[in-house]
Amino acid sequence: MTVPSGPASAEVPAVRCRSLGVSFGTVQALHDISLDLAAGRIHALVGQNGAGKTTLAKALGGLQAPDNGTVCIAGNQIPPGDVRAAKSAGLAMVHQHFSLPPSFTVAEALELTAARPESHSVYRRTELYRRWQNEVAEVGGTNVLATRIRDLPVETRQSLEIVRALVSEARILLLDEPTALLTPAATDTLFERLRGLRDDGVTILIVLHKLREVAAVADTVSVLRDGKLVLGPSEISGVSQGQLSDAIVGPAPDADRAIAVEAAANAEQQLLLELVRVSSRESAFEPGLASIDLAVEAREIVGIAGVEGNGQRSLVSVIAGLSAVTEGSVLLGGEEMTSAPPARRRLRGLRLVPFDRNSEGISRSAPLWLNQSALRLIGRRRQFPLISLRQYKRQASEAMDLWQVRYNTVAQPAESLSGGNVQRLVLSRELASGLEVLVAAQPTRGLDFSATNFVRSSLRGLRDAGAGVLLVSSDLDELFELSDRLLVMYGGSIVARFNAPYDRQAVGDAMTGALR
Amino acid sequence: MTGGLQRVASTVLLVVVSFMLTALILWVSGYRVGTVLSGIIQGSITATGAATSTIRWTIPLLLIGLGVVIGFRAGFFNIGGQGQFYVGACSALVVSLGWREGPVPLVIMCGMIAAILAGMAWSLLPGYLRVQFGTDEVLTTLMMSFIGALVLQYLTAGPLRNPSGTGQTAASERIPEAFRITDSSGVSVTALLLVGGVAVLVWLLLERTRFGLTMTLVGRNPTMARWQGIDVRRVGLGTFALSGALSGLAGAVELHGPGARLVTGFSPEVGFTAVVVALVGMLSVWGTVVAAVFFGGLQSAILFLPIVTDLPPPALVLLHGMVAFLVTIKFRAVRRRRAGLAAKPVVG
Ligand SMILES: Nc1ncnc2c1ncn2[C@@H]1O[C@H](COP(=O)(O)OP(=O)(O)OP(=O)(O)O)[C@@H](O)[C@H]1O
Ligand SMILES: [Mg+2]
Repeated sequence: MTVPSGPASAEVPAVRCRSLGVSFGTVQALHDISLDLAAGRIHALVGQNGAGKTTLAKALGGLQAPDNGTVCIAGNQIPPGDVRAAKSAGLAMVHQHFSLPPSFTVAEALELTAARPESHSVYRRTELYRRWQNEVAEVGGTNVLATRIRDLPVETRQSLEIVRALVSEARILLLDEPTALLTPAATDTLFERLRGLRDDGVTILIVLHKLREVAAVADTVSVLRDGKLVLGPSEISGVSQGQLSDAIVGPAPDADRAIAVEAAANAEQQLLLELVRVSSRESAFEPGLASIDLAVEAREIVGIAGVEGNGQRSLVSVIAGLSAVTEGSVLLGGEEMTSAPPARRRLRGLRLVPFDRNSEGISRSAPLWLNQSALRLIGRRRQFPLISLRQYKRQASEAMDLWQVRYNTVAQPAESLSGGNVQRLVLSRELASGLEVLVAAQPTRGLDFSATNFVRSSLRGLRDAGAGVLLVSSDLDELFELSDRLLVMYGGSIVARFNAPYDRQAVGDAMTGALR
Repeated sequence: MTGGLQRVASTVLLVVVSFMLTALILWVSGYRVGTVLSGIIQGSITATGAATSTIRWTIPLLLIGLGVVIGFRAGFFNIGGQGQFYVGACSALVVSLGWREGPVPLVIMCGMIAAILAGMAWSLLPGYLRVQFGTDEVLTTLMMSFIGALVLQYLTAGPLRNPSGTGQTAASERIPEAFRITDSSGVSVTALLLVGGVAVLVWLLLERTRFGLTMTLVGRNPTMARWQGIDVRRVGLGTFALSGALSGLAGAVELHGPGARLVTGFSPEVGFTAVVVALVGMLSVWGTVVAAVFFGGLQSAILFLPIVTDLPPPALVLLHGMVAFLVTIKFRAVRRRRAGLAAKPVVG
């Protein structure tokens, strides 16, 4: 069968799959999926963590060979698991986990994946930079071109993945949770671009969690649940929000679960975390801290708002003890900790949800139980040296069950979890016993609707149990909903402090530095 | 555990392929492959004393190989076992010769402790450079290995030289016969218990202690380990110390066992073969035990073969090389896939 390449005609679906099935060991990740994606439209794909969205996107993109079933792109059947065939059929993907080569510079990586690389085989750096200047201008300024991919903050990496897909001149774009790491403004810009592409005839499949975003960008929506296609693709206008969330959650939604986390805060200590005039050195993509004063008391959630890259990362790593303080002091539970190693802070009840869950939060190749037990390895020198693995594994599986992590065995590597389940794994470790003060960076990133609610109610539960929470988020709604007080960071300092009820306009102004 | 089985199968396959390639080369060069093969089997198992000789060579390979396994667990490639082995043997020699009148068990014990400390020191210097400055430990441990060989040469040719020795190669005096834990066959119950005990201890350390789990986390993702409050630098130094200690101990066992004296450049390959042993053993303790026996047999066969064929000894070293080559390719492929193992200084 020969079909002319070029814009797919309206009758032939841009992507068609029939009876697609994928399983990993005993887990059936996809179950008999048949789906047509009409050309020139934006199709949203939604579903709970672990429902199979990433697996479906990968199977369509030729990155995952299905056990059975077929995939056709623009009418041409793609040999199972053949990425090159999918690519040359005009398909490009933006991954939930990053795929750009970490040791390449940004310019090199873009050139490598470009649709039409320069024809000569020897490159000059200056030329390369000139060629890609415009593309990266909005991502992080042109100075990122010479930076290695692995040194970029996750947000920038995510934006780059998107840029890479957009410049590839693909006719079909598969985007797996592209908005998870984007600010609301960047999300709007992305959606604007996607609409433009659609109007040029590009077909787009986009995995999303927030129904608000689905409504904002999609023409049709499909729902996956437990590896089955339970709805769609249906016109977005024909589906109500209620129908959609019912389809996502299924007939037996979890009852509102109670929070089983308990805080270990002692009653006398009020001031759990204190930063006094703390400064730190700047890092490659962020200003250092500039004389920050901050206090988190027992029984409160303090929110940190700010545009990405205004020192939030420095703040978290200074509190964690991972970057040096040049001036000022850090106290935990009233105890001087300015130069204390991370272990002492952990033992003092500090718990951390880091920004980049895949590199800072877990060890991808280590088994689940070891990832889950990591905090039990420090500071127990006086205990009997031999440990019981069975006990470690049992406790790990109990904690993961509480957080409803979807896994097969505790021995599987953490990289085999779905994106949202990795975040749950991190939370199951950090939001457990011994917590006095929690520093949570983007704790609901990549979580589905019900898990997001669970995290939010857990944070409130922690607060009510006497813990202190420092919540760093780029989601203003989340901050407004949870924070008892809100601080705004700009250029490495705290430029404004707000109390509830919050004035969105004022907070927004502070974030852009208008108050300076 | 199909994944585990698969890995074992692929390693075995790799060894078989190495055998076949070596056989091919021998065949092309006009040797009788059948004779060589039967020579290998005789030299490692069936001939008189062959099995003992296999075990004799297994012992240092296993001790040093376990050190390599420990290093790998935490992500460090300590390939300087040879030098650590030499300085260990030298330290034990100094103790034995300097305290000839001492109580036997005490002298042996002190010899071993001295060897362990020396091996540690030899390994800790590159270890420190690695965690402090990110110096590539593959290079530094290798360089330290050469220095270790020169130290041995200096001692056996200089201060500790046996003045009545006549041979062309410099050798030290012999230690008193009472200080030996084996006869010159190199195998005794004491030696086997010692090595077996060490293997069990290493297994317990790696698989059943907090420190062992910590090493695994550091080896797989040091960034995450740091966020979890693990002192990556301390784990690194501890790893280098332990791994050097085992090589040093191997030196003492060699001296108090089959050696009884030190000869310039003795057992010139054990330290390097031990790296291959660890890789073929898939970096697990029991796998390394099996691989050590296998390479111990080969070593024994290399020494035996000249008796039955006119094959020059390097021909079997070729087999070593072949296995090392293939296993390294396989290992590099795995290592590539795991991100973030490039040499970087350990911060925080
Ligand atoms: N390599 C793998 N090995 C084992 N199981 C896997 C593997 N990859 C995915 N799975 C399992 O398949 C199921 C579907 O995973 P998938 O990544 O498609 O979910 P998802 O819908 O993208 O979830 P999320 O919203 O969390 O990203 C999950 O239960 C996951 O644990
Ligand atoms: Mg996913």
